[in-house]
Amino acid sequence: MSDSPAVTRVLFEGFAPVAIAAFYAVAAVAIAIFAFGVYREVRKYRRGTAAEVGGSLLTRFRWMVATVLSHRTIARRDRPAGGAHRLIFYGFLLLFLGTSTITLDYDIVGPLFHVHFWHGAFYLWFSLVLDVAGVALAGGLLYMMYRRGWLKLPKLDYTRPDRQPGDPDYDRSGYRREDWAFLWTLLAIAVTGYLLEAVRLVWLEARPDVWETRWWSPVGAVLAQGMRAVGMSAAVGGAWRLGLWWFHGVLALGFIALIPFTKVKHIFTAAGSLMLRDPLAAQRLPRVPEQQQRAGAQFITDFTWKQLLALDACTKCGRCHEACPARAVGAPLSPRDVILSLREFANRTLESSVLPAQAELDVHGKGPGQVALETLWSCRTCMACVEVCPVAIEHVPIIVQLRRKLVEEGKMEPQLTKTLQTLHKTGNSFGEGRRKRAAWTKSLPFTVKDARKEPVELLWFVGDYASFDPRNQKVTQGLAALLHEAGVDFGILYEGESNAGNDVRRVGEEGLYEVLATANIEALATASFKSIVTTDPHSYNTIRNEYPDFGGRYAIEHYTTLLLRLLQEGRLKIARQLGLRVTFHDPCHLGRFNKGYDAPREILRLIGCELIEMGRCRSNSFCCGAGGGRIWMADPPGLERPAHNRMREAAAISGLQVFVVSCPKDLTMFEDALKATGNESRFMVRELIELVREALGQEQPARVPDAAA
Amino acid sequence: MKVLVAVKQVAALDEDFEIRADGKDVDPDFLVRDLNEWDDFSLEEAVKTKENAGTPVEVVVVCVGPEEADEALRKCLAKGADRAIRVWDEELAGADSIGIARVIAAVARREKPQLLLAGAQASDHAFAATGIAVAALLEWAHAAVVTMLEYTPGAGGALLRRELEGGLLHEMQIETPAVLTIQLGINTPRYASLRSIKQAAAKPIEVLTPADLEMPPSEVGAAGSLSRVRRMYVPEKGRAQMIGGSVEEQAARVAQLIRERTGGAA
Amino acid sequence: MSGILVIAEQRRGELRPATLEMVSAAQAARRPGEPVALVLLADDPQRFVEAVSVPGVDEIVTVQLASRDFDPDALEAALGALIEARRPSLVLVPHSIDSFGYAAALAVKGGYGFATDVFRIAREGDALLATRGGYGQKVNVEVDFPAKEVVLLAVRASVFKPAEGRATPAVSAFAAPAARARLSGREYIEVAAGDDIDMSGAEFILSIGRGVGEQANVEQFRELADIVGAALGCSRPVADAGWLPKSRQIGQSGKTASACKLYVALGISGAIQHLAGMKHVATIVAVNADERASIFSVANYGVVADIFEFAAALRAQFRG
Repeated sequence: MSDSPAVTRVLFEGFAPVAIAAFYAVAAVAIAIFAFGVYREVRKYRRGTAAEVGGSLLTRFRWMVATVLSHRTIARRDRPAGGAHRLIFYGFLLLFLGTSTITLDYDIVGPLFHVHFWHGAFYLWFSLVLDVAGVALAGGLLYMMYRRGWLKLPKLDYTRPDRQPGDPDYDRSGYRREDWAFLWTLLAIAVTGYLLEAVRLVWLEARPDVWETRWWSPVGAVLAQGMRAVGMSAAVGGAWRLGLWWFHGVLALGFIALIPFTKVKHIFTAAGSLMLRDPLAAQRLPRVPEQQQRAGAQFITDFTWKQLLALDACTKCGRCHEACPARAVGAPLSPRDVILSLREFANRTLESSVLPAQAELDVHGKGPGQVALETLWSCRTCMACVEVCPVAIEHVPIIVQLRRKLVEEGKMEPQLTKTLQTLHKTGNSFGEGRRKRAAWTKSLPFTVKDARKEPVELLWFVGDYASFDPRNQKVTQGLAALLHEAGVDFGILYEGESNAGNDVRRVGEEGLYEVLATANIEALATASFKSIVTTDPHSYNTIRNEYPDFGGRYAIEHYTTLLLRLLQEGRLKIARQLGLRVTFHDPCHLGRFNKGYDAPREILRLIGCELIEMGRCRSNSFCCGAGGGRIWMADPPGLERPAHNRMREAAAISGLQVFVVSCPKDLTMFEDALKATGNESRFMVRELIELVREALGQEQPARVPDAAA
Repeated sequence: MKVLVAVKQVAALDEDFEIRADGKDVDPDFLVRDLNEWDDFSLEEAVKTKENAGTPVEVVVVCVGPEEADEALRKCLAKGADRAIRVWDEELAGADSIGIARVIAAVARREKPQLLLAGAQASDHAFAATGIAVAALLEWAHAAVVTMLEYTPGAGGALLRRELEGGLLHEMQIETPAVLTIQLGINTPRYASLRSIKQAAAKPIEVLTPADLEMPPSEVGAAGSLSRVRRMYVPEKGRAQMIGGSVEEQAARVAQLIRERTGGAA
Repeated sequence: MSGILVIAEQRRGELRPATLEMVSAAQAARRPGEPVALVLLADDPQRFVEAVSVPGVDEIVTVQLASRDFDPDALEAALGALIEARRPSLVLVPHSIDSFGYAAALAVKGGYGFATDVFRIAREGDALLATRGGYGQKVNVEVDFPAKEVVLLAVRASVFKPAEGRATPAVSAFAAPAARARLSGREYIEVAAGDDIDMSGAEFILSIGRGVGEQANVEQFRELADIVGAALGCSRPVADAGWLPKSRQIGQSGKTASACKLYVALGISGAIQHLAGMKHVATIVAVNADERASIFSVANYGVVADIFEFAAALRAQFRG
C-alpha cells in the first residue's frame, strides 16, 4: 500500500466551477439556516429567568463528556436502547468527524498551508473506519425502527393521561411522524452514502489507485461488484454518481440545517442539560428569592433559561413515564407530558420575534400546552422521573414551582388546605397539641433525655408520624429501647420539635416551610449534640439537604446506618437469626433521594433474613403514594392506589413472609394496602426496627395466623 | 361602599388545662388561639362581595382583643381585607358578648358601612348573640344564620337565605344597611398562604381604645354587659358505658343492642 | 313575684317540641306562687292553644302577628311591648336557630340580663343563676345578672323534659304594636326536598362523621345502614363537603331526629352543633377511634375502634 498522494478521493471531481460554487452556496444557506435556528433557540432560553449553576464549568463539561461517551444514562433500564444508541452515536460521531477532517484538509489546511494529509495510508484507514461507522449507524437505526414499529413498547406509546380524546393537543401523530422522519432521513443519508461510494468505484474502475484499494471501503466495494455484475458501465456509474452526490449532499446539508428545528437538536440540548444538571435537583428545592413578588411559576417566562433548555432536551424516551407511580395507577400525570406540554407552550410563545402579552404566557390550565391542576396535584415528588432521565431533566422542581403558584391562589383540595392550616397552628399534621408530641415516651421504663435541657451525643429527630401515629409509636418506642440498650447517649427535642417541613415544601407552601424550618433550626440551636439521627426519611432529606440553605448545618443520618453500626460494633447483640423470607421496600427519601440502599439490606442479612428483591427495587423503588403531600389528600375514587400496586408486586414473591419498610409513612400506607389487597393471611408488613428487636430477643415474633387453622 | 366584618380570635383548651386562681376563667397558658371558624366564612363572603362588585368596595375587619389578636387580623388582611381595626382596653376583659357588641357598634358608627357581617356564633363560648346585639344597638335590619347572600353594593337591599329550625331555609329580601350573621358552608373560604400573610404585614392595623371611639365608661366592659361570670369549673363528665374487647366482640354487642332496641326489625 | 314568660316557638303550623321543654324549665326556675305565662306569637296563634294547655302553664297569651314570615323585627317589637307591660322576672326562649335571630336584640333593646345556651337555672336568694358551657363545652360557666329586673334566657334544647298532661289555663290576647317591615320573605325551602328521606321520622339512625375520611368511603356505610335497617344520617362537615345531601344532616340546623330511638354515630367527634340534634335520643352508641372524643360524654354506649374495622365486623353480624 503506498502513501501516494494519489491514493485519495478527489473532491468535486469532474465538477464545473459553477457546480462547486453552487455547492458552497447551498452549504452556506444550510449553515445560515442552522445559525438562525440556534439564534432562535438561544433567544427563547434567554427569555427565561436567571439560573444559578454551581461548580466549575470545566468539571461539569468533563463529567458530561464522560457520561455521554459511556452512554451510562441511556443504557439504564433499557440495555437494548443503550446499545443501539451507542451504535448510532458513535457511527454518526465518526462520520461527522470524518467529514470535518475532509473539510479541514480541503478548505482550511490545504489553502492556508498548502499541505494535504488526507491521502495514502491515512486515507485508506479513514475509509475503512467510516465504512464501519456507517454500518454501525445504519444498524442502530434499523434496530430503533424495529423497536418503534414492531415491539410497540408501552413507554413509547405517546398516549397522554392528562388530556381527553378531542382535546386539541391530545393527538400525538405529529411526534410520531417526526420520529420516523428522523430515522428514515438519517438512514437515507447512510444508505445513499454507501451507494455514492459504490457508484464512484464503478465510475472510476479504470483508475488503479481507486479500484485496487476498493476493499478499504468494503460496503461500497460489495455494492460496486453487484452493480458491475448487473452490467453498469463506468459512464452510467458516473451519471449515477453525479445524481447521488447532489442528493446525498443536499439531504445531509438539509439535515444539518434543520437540526435546531427538529428532534435532532437533542444532540446539543441533551449535552447542555447534562452539563448543567443539579445532582440535588429534587432533594434540595430552590428558595423563593426575597424580592420576588410572586411565588412559583405562573408564566412560561418564570422558568429559568436552564429549565427552558432542559425542556428541549427531552427525546420522549418514556423512562419517566414508565417510572412514575401516579401514571402507573392511572392518575392524570405523566412527567413526560408535563415537559412536552411546557415545551410546546414555550415553542409556541417564545420562538417568535416579539414576545406575546403576558396574559398569553400563563401555563396553568387545560388549553394546548398548559398544565392542569389535577396533573400537578397527582405528583408524589418521589423523583423516579428525575433519577432515571437520561438527559437530566428535573421534573420535580418544575412541578413544585407550578404548585407554589396554586398554593398562593388556594387552588388545593380542602383536606390539604386544612392540613396546612393545622400544621401552621400546631406544628404537626395531626392537629394534636404540641405538648403531646413526646407522649410516646411516657410508657417507656426509662426517661428519654430532653436535649433542650442537657447535652446529648445524639439528637433524635423523631418526626410527626413516628410521634403521633399509634402504630408508628410502637416502632418509635422500640428504637428508643434499642438505643437505650446499646448505651447510646441520646435525647429528643420534646415539644421543641415541629414537622420538618419536607412535604410542606413539596406541596408548594414555601412560606409555611420557612416557618417550620426556622422553628426547628432555632430549637436545634438551643440543644447541644454531636449529630442527629432520624426515623423519618422525609425529615432526613430536608434536614440534610435543605436546612443548610436556612442556616442549619448538621451531621445527620437515618437510623438504618446507626443501627447497622451498633450491630457491627457489637453494642447490640443478635440473639437469634430470624430465618424469614423477606423483601425490602426502599423508601423514596432514603433510597433514591439519598442513596441509602445498603444499610438496611446489610441489617437484614445480619439478622438472618433471606432477602428477595422486588423487580422495582433500589433506585427504581415504587413509591407508596404518600409523598408530595398526597397523604394529606383524598385518593380519587376508582383509581388504584400506588401502595396496592406495590403490594401486588410483593405478593408475586412466592413464600414471602415479611414486607419490610423503614419509613413511618410506608408502614401506614402498606399496612392499609395489605388489608385492602387481601394479603393479610399471606404475609406481614413490619418495620426494620421491629425485626431487629425480634433478632435481639426483645420482641415476641409476630407471625401471620395460619391460614390452614 | 364599605363592608365591616367583625371577627373574633377564639381560644381552645390545651390538654391538661387549669382554671385560674380567681376561678373565673382558664389559665391563659393553656389557651390555643385561632380565628373563629365562622369568621373565615363571613370574611370570605365580604371579600367575594368586593370582588364581584362593579364598584370599589372596602372590606374592613374589626376585632376586640389584646395584641395577640393581631395574628387573626393579619390572616384576614392576607385573605383580602383592606384595613384592620383592633380595639382593646383592660376593662374589656370583663365584657360579655353584649359588652363586645357595644364596641363593635361604636366602630360601625365611625366607619359607616353598608353591610356588617359577623359569624353566627363563636367556636369557644357559642353565645350566638354578638352580631344581632350590634344590630339592635345600631337599630339596623338584621338576619341571623345566613347561608346565601347576593348583594350588589349600592342597591338598597340584599337577597339572602337563612336557616330556621328544623332544617328549613327562608329566602328573603332585606333592606340595607343590615347586620348579617353568617353560617358555615355559605362559601369556600380561600387559603391564605404564609407568604401572603407575611406580605399582609405591610397593611396597617389600627389600634383603638373605647375612649377613642367616644364610648362612655358606663358602656365599657362589665358595665356594658348583660351578664357576669361568677365562676368557671370543670364539670363531672357523664361517660358512656364503654364496650371493650376485640372489634368482633364490640360489633356483636352493638348488634345485640340494635336488635333489642329496634324490636328485631333488622 | 313578677312572673315568668315562656315564649313558644312555631313554624308553618307546627309547634316546636322545645316549647314544652321551656315549660319544664320554667317550673325549675319559678319561685313559689310565681305565675308562668306562655306566649304564642303567630299569624294564627289560636291553633296552638290546645297543644300548650299543659300543667305548669298558668296563662296563655296569644299575639297575632301580621305575617307568617319569620320577622325578627316583629318578634322584638311584640315581645318588647309585652315584657314592658308585664315586667316578668324571667323570660325563657329556646336556644334555637330561630332565637339566634332575635333574642340578643330583644335583650339589648330592653336592657335585660341575658345569657344563651343555658342548661341549668337556679336561684340564690334574689339572684338568678344560669349555667352554660365554655371553651367548646369543656367547662361550665355560672353567670348571674346583677341589678337586672328582667332576665332573658335562651335555654338549651333536650335538657328539660317536655311538659305533659292536660290543663286549662286562661287565654288572653295581647295587641302587638306594628313594626316597620325591613324584610320581605319570598319562600320557605324544605331542605329535604331533593332527597326522598325525611330524617325526622326515622327511628333508627346510623350517622357518619368526618372520620370516614373521604367521599369514596361513604358507600360502604350506606350499605351498612341498609343492612342493619337504619336510615343513614351525617354530621354537618359531611353534608358541607357534599358527600351526602343536606337532608341527611343531623344537628343543630339539620333535621332534628325527633322520632329517633336508637342512634349509632360512627366517626363523629361530638361537636356541640351535632349533639344538639340527637341528645334526646334514648339510646346513643358512639364509635370513634379517639377515646377522648367528646361524644363519649353524651352517648350511652361507647366503642373505641377504627370505624372501618367496626363497620366490617358489624356487617358480619347481620349476614347469615
